[in-house]
Amino acid sequence: MRRETQHVLLLLLGGALLRIAADDTFLRYVRPSHRWLLLAAGAVMVLLAAIALVRDLRGARVGSHHDHSVAERHAPWLLLVPVLVIALVAPPALGADSVTRVGNSPAVLPDADVFTPLPPGGAPDLPVMEFVQRAMFDKAGTLDGRDVTLTGFAVRRGAAVELARLTISCCAADARAARVRLQGGPALDGFAQDTWLRVRGTLVPGSATPAEHYVPAMVVRSVEPAAAPSDPYEY
Amino acid sequence: MSSAGCAETATPGRFGCHHFSVSTTLRAPRVTSLHVFCGVLVLAILARPLITSAMSAPALSIAGTVFVAVCAQALPFLVLGVLLSGAIAAFVSPAVLRRVLPASPNSAVAVAGVAGIALPGCECASVPVARRLIGQGVPDAAALTFLLAAPAVNPVVLVATAVAFPGEPRMVLARFVGSLATACVMGWLWQRFGRAEWITARARRPVETPPGTSRWLVLAETARHDLVSAGGFLVVGAVAAAALSVLVPAAWTETLAGHLVLAVAVMAVLAVLLALCSEADAFVAASLSVLPLLPRLVFLVVGPAVDVKLIALQAGTFGRSFAARFAPVTFAVAIICALLTGWAIL
Repeated sequence: MRRETQHVLLLLLGGALLRIAADDTFLRYVRPSHRWLLLAAGAVMVLLAAIALVRDLRGARVGSHHDHSVAERHAPWLLLVPVLVIALVAPPALGADSVTRVGNSPAVLPDADVFTPLPPGGAPDLPVMEFVQRAMFDKAGTLDGRDVTLTGFAVRRGAAVELARLTISCCAADARAARVRLQGGPALDGFAQDTWLRVRGTLVPGSATPAEHYVPAMVVRSVEPAAAPSDPYEY
Repeated sequence: MSSAGCAETATPGRFGCHHFSVSTTLRAPRVTSLHVFCGVLVLAILARPLITSAMSAPALSIAGTVFVAVCAQALPFLVLGVLLSGAIAAFVSPAVLRRVLPASPNSAVAVAGVAGIALPGCECASVPVARRLIGQGVPDAAALTFLLAAPAVNPVVLVATAVAFPGEPRMVLARFVGSLATACVMGWLWQRFGRAEWITARARRPVETPPGTSRWLVLAETARHDLVSAGGFLVVGAVAAAALSVLVPAAWTETLAGHLVLAVAVMAVLAVLLALCSEADAFVAASLSVLPLLPRLVFLVVGPAVDVKLIALQAGTFGRSFAARFAPVTFAVAIICALLTGWAIL
């Protein structure tokens, strides 16, 4: 492959990283703190390509091995794959399909035995993962009888509806699902798979049983569709 | 790749490698990689509706997201690695490295393993660095030990492990000891049985720059060269990881509780197939709470040492004949080291 083609590929790849970090697109793939790494990496790629382009244009002769293997000679073409996938498709954040795909194994970390009391107020907002952690591990019963508000997307399993949210540690490849079974009767029927919902309700105490794969249940008081949040994951 | 243009020039003898020679514009049109490149772009843009509708199938959509996620996660660390690699080529002379490392190869291996603590990054960063260390005359065994140790024993990874296993500080210790042992054992094995010719000759060669080039330009050219070649192989690894994340049935981990031997085997294989970043794998391991700690430790020790993304990167950097030997042996050594430390510590 000609050196110019390599430089152009590197420019495009750096540009693609800068592009997804410039707005909220990167939040579909990695955690928010990764933005600075993406910006730095994109800038370095553009800079390295620009330096090499300028040097080549000035006629500096760089490098002349002739024994590259076929794989080594063609490997840089693959840099085009992420560029094209980002530019043409920009895959969406993981959602209900990936929740149903991972099956039923519980994916919740024991966070603490002692949880701080819920914030005061009518129905405080909680991350879905924290709600499930409290339901599974909290011995002080901080959720019992309290109204809380959860934001997540709808996952339909037959007639049943779950509220789910994915948690990532580094990137979407390590996503884990936190799920809550919603008990709300006909009010839930209208919501299609992947609809973002704001649900207000109360934990059904003792509902995170092994038979239910440790997925707690919630009695829904009110539910309304919500706009998809700019960062789809919890961290 | 620095000279690959020559390989496509039909008559390299006549025009040499100088791509800007006017003669190319006067001759009959010849297809170069730039033409191919433009063709691919035009095709991709024309086929965009087809591509987007194909990618909307759930499995492909998930794989696409995971693919971009692995690339976006790993590329900054690869950039860090190639910058370090360039800095080593430009500023660290073989003489300095010889002074720093013990003369005995076996102690050099141990020093290289402990030195891995100092590179806070994922496994992608350590491959180009290890390659450049070999290029600067560090013994192969010591550089390979560094390659295996750096992603697994650095403070960022250990802190992440401690956070993921809050009630289990021994997990952090076991991971540190198991990974360091894997790296050192592999180094000593290489010292005893390894052959220099298994590593491709191009890995040892510095990137060529005209004599008198400033050190900063040597850094830039080395980093660019390593980034372009290793980046392509990272993409191979990301495609493999994305495909496997969809293809590996989740049921694998659900039926394992109570089968210790099977659980160890499956978790070791999963560590290779899923290719998680070493800073994130502890959280995935911790979430598989139906399993005992031992198979999860195996997952944490095997993952940073050998996975599909790393195998692709190593094959691209050190050659296929190296990867075909190094990866399976590392896999076995990592499992054994994890089991032994697990029994001793957990």
